[in-house]
Amino acid sequence: MKNRLRELRSAKQWSQSDLAEKLGVSRQTINAIETEKYDPSLPLAFKVARLFKLQIEQIFESE
Amino acid sequence: MLYSADMNAKLNVPGEIFMGNKEYSWKMDWRVNGWLFVATMISGFTDIIFRHVASQLPLAARAGIQVAEFLALALWARSLARWIGGMDEMHRRITVSAALFAVSATFFVLMLWHRMDAVGFFDSIFGVPKAPGSWDICTVCHGFLLMTLFYFLGHTVFNRRYR
Repeated sequence: MKNRLRELRSAKQWSQSDLAEKLGVSRQTINAIETEKYDPSLPLAFKVARLFKLQIEQIFESE
Repeated sequence: MLYSADMNAKLNVPGEIFMGNKEYSWKMDWRVNGWLFVATMISGFTDIIFRHVASQLPLAARAGIQVAEFLALALWARSLARWIGGMDEMHRRITVSAALFAVSATFFVLMLWHRMDAVGFFDSIFGVPKAPGSWDICTVCHGFLLMTLFYFLGHTVFNRRYR
């Protein structure tokens, strides 16, 4: 699944560790999502959307 | 929730119980695998010390010793479930996949080995073992060893997928 997580994180000038801490996941999970190797669960996708104050579909896009 | 709050002050990661890993923590290893150590101790104690006196012990005592080992194993499974529950979703997925792979691969290998032994496959390769021996490896100890090996293999493969 394509996503804009890296772009959104960079805009906020957060490191992967910062974002991981805010979302309650590990840095490896953030890295795996950003590199599109791991698709987050729906609750995590909602958390991401809430954190960036966006709709889920504005961040994640199904291929 | 499966896990306790104190175990989740920080997220658990699979590497913290892999000796040699940079994330290894003997404290966490002990918390997760402590009951496995107890079960192993009981098993060894039963096999080595009680073997000779077991037949003289009352049935309740013999059964109690056996049940104690499995009680420790049940408690180990509980601490393992708590540890996995304290991981984030990706690590939990990797660990559960590796565990499922380990259990099914062990079952498959043991069944195959048993059947091959029954048809005399290993006798033809290694020779007939001294009576009353057998090349069969369907014991709890072999099963555990295989499962551990397959777990590490499975974990390495599944972990690589998300790197």
